[in-house]
Amino acid sequence: MLEYQYDGTFPGLLTAIFDAFNRKEQPDAILRPGAQGLLFASVYAVETSEEKADRVWAGIKRVGGNTTCEHLYHAFLSLDEQVEMAIFSYSKHLFACNAPVMTDLAHPDVLKVHKLDRMVLREAHRVLMFLRFEQAADGTYFAPFAPQYDVIPLVIGHFKSRFADQSWIIYDTKRGYGFYFNTQTIEQITIENPTFGSATGKLRQGTEHPDEDKWHELWRSYFKHISIAERKNLTLQRNFMPKRFWKYLTEKRL
Amino acid sequence: METLQKLEILSSAAKYDVSCSSSGSSRMNTPGGIGNAAKAGICHSFTEDGRCISLLKVLFTNSCKYDCAYCINRRSNDIPRAAFTVKELVDITINFYRRNYIEGLFLSSGVVKSADYTMERLANVAKQLRLEHKFNGYIHLKAIPGASPELIHMAGLYADRLSVNIEIPSEPNLQLLAPEKDFQSVLNPMGLIKTGIEQSREERRIMRKSPVFTPAGQSTQLIIGATPDSDRQILTLASGLYTQKSLKRVYYSGYNPTNLYDKRLPALAAPPLRRENRLYQADWLLRFYQFGVNEIVNDTNPDLDLEIDPKLGYALRNPHLFPIDVNRADYHMLLRIPGVGVKSAKMILAARKFRRLNSANLQKIGVVMKRAQYFITCNELPAASVQDLSPERVRSILTMSERRKQLPDAVQLGLWG
Repeated sequence: MLEYQYDGTFPGLLTAIFDAFNRKEQPDAILRPGAQGLLFASVYAVETSEEKADRVWAGIKRVGGNTTCEHLYHAFLSLDEQVEMAIFSYSKHLFACNAPVMTDLAHPDVLKVHKLDRMVLREAHRVLMFLRFEQAADGTYFAPFAPQYDVIPLVIGHFKSRFADQSWIIYDTKRGYGFYFNTQTIEQITIENPTFGSATGKLRQGTEHPDEDKWHELWRSYFKHISIAERKNLTLQRNFMPKRFWKYLTEKRL
Repeated sequence: METLQKLEILSSAAKYDVSCSSSGSSRMNTPGGIGNAAKAGICHSFTEDGRCISLLKVLFTNSCKYDCAYCINRRSNDIPRAAFTVKELVDITINFYRRNYIEGLFLSSGVVKSADYTMERLANVAKQLRLEHKFNGYIHLKAIPGASPELIHMAGLYADRLSVNIEIPSEPNLQLLAPEKDFQSVLNPMGLIKTGIEQSREERRIMRKSPVFTPAGQSTQLIIGATPDSDRQILTLASGLYTQKSLKRVYYSGYNPTNLYDKRLPALAAPPLRRENRLYQADWLLRFYQFGVNEIVNDTNPDLDLEIDPKLGYALRNPHLFPIDVNRADYHMLLRIPGVGVKSAKMILAARKFRRLNSANLQKIGVVMKRAQYFITCNELPAASVQDLSPERVRSILTMSERRKQLPDAVQLGLWG
């Protein structure tokens, strides 16, 4: 049994793929730090190399095009247990065919990558749906969110073009980093001394804009009155809007 | 009156309009402006009835000069009445939008004074949002039947979508429930909007910067179950609207018993949700599955089967077309297989270029094999098909498993169950 260990980054994984091709090896597992190793396996430690990673990435792009690159990167973001091996086998299949294979859905690894890609994109879309801004006293709009996967970087472009005239912060409370937009440029930030509650991400009393409560009240009232009582169907509501998002929703949190 | 109170009254009054879509427009943000439209639309929340909130859906006012039997806002109802000021509406829309609560505004209204008076007010809200506040989010306006062509044109220049509600699916029944209205007054604005859209599209082909007119098209709504109209009448009307008036959507709204005192209306215990669901499924067949109305409902089956979905119904009435070979059939025929949706059909087409597909592949792609198995052959020994078993037998197998997990009729189902 042969086990590759890499540093858990995407370039690290691409380096692992490079090394496997280079060494003409077929690893039985490619493991990120902290992953459960194989018993009695011989271990090869991958040393991340930007250069090797770039070459593999360029190769994938040349054969599979941009769409393939996006699929693989999105799938990687899922941090699924088998994602590394799926991406490795997908790449092997891609290079063997020397043509895009993303629609070869009867191939187990292509299907796996396809499904993971969709899963991650669905989560990214949910950020667009369920993210809520709250205006702080200084006028900045603040939005906490804790997506299941690290997808905030995929969606900030959407918020940049939509809310181009307001400064905002979108903060991933689960991963402890976020993005600040000052109406001109976006920068990545880490908040050291949060002025928001850790449970709901709500701005603490006194740090929010004086009008904020009024808008919350209006929105909650709208949310309540637009529903038709005779058609009440809480299961359907939860299917569309899973409970894990409720803590950040103005209309749902207490 | 406080804004909060107005919002309560005017959102409650708007809730029976089921249209919620914010899709179809790709309006971009402008320099110094706020907002844009997402082509695919975005839902922002879901209410306790499981319906999506995408737009701030309110009436400008719930005062109305009409007395339509089915409407909660009819003039003979003794209910609190309110009207927004333009400033209030603009403020709420923009502040909700900035907080990512909504995609934009859906503004409808009771008819006060005259159609023109009302239409002008609606169009002005949109105009102010667009011009003074540089708002580029989604705007859906109601076109008021009887309003002048100029005002409807003006509305179309600022809105992403316009809609005129037909509400009652046949003229005689409309006469009965809303004697002050007629079909022609609804069809006229639809025609105007259609022409406007076509003209703008033509102009933009020549001059790219010509103004956009209602880029997300128009829609309408039909109330289901308030009148004895059959599904065949309803779907024939819908199909005509899609083909002749180029509508983007027809919405079906299960009649919610209101105005119980009005004896012209049926006494329903609950809104006909299952029928509404089947109509939506049939509507999907018309728009995305290349079905004709007569293939879904006909003389012998004027109403949709409530127990099985309309595509399965079609397959069981036409067993001679099955089983279909998924490795050979064209897109049109793949779409007719129960359990195969638009996505699966496209995936089958793409995947089978690489290798022949078997039932395990199909299952993993997302085909609902529980239904599909009786209607297909693939790269393995054939199972018993609908021809071997008889349609009656397949129907009883499929409805049995349905019945076991049967929910009461009052529960709305997901679109394809």
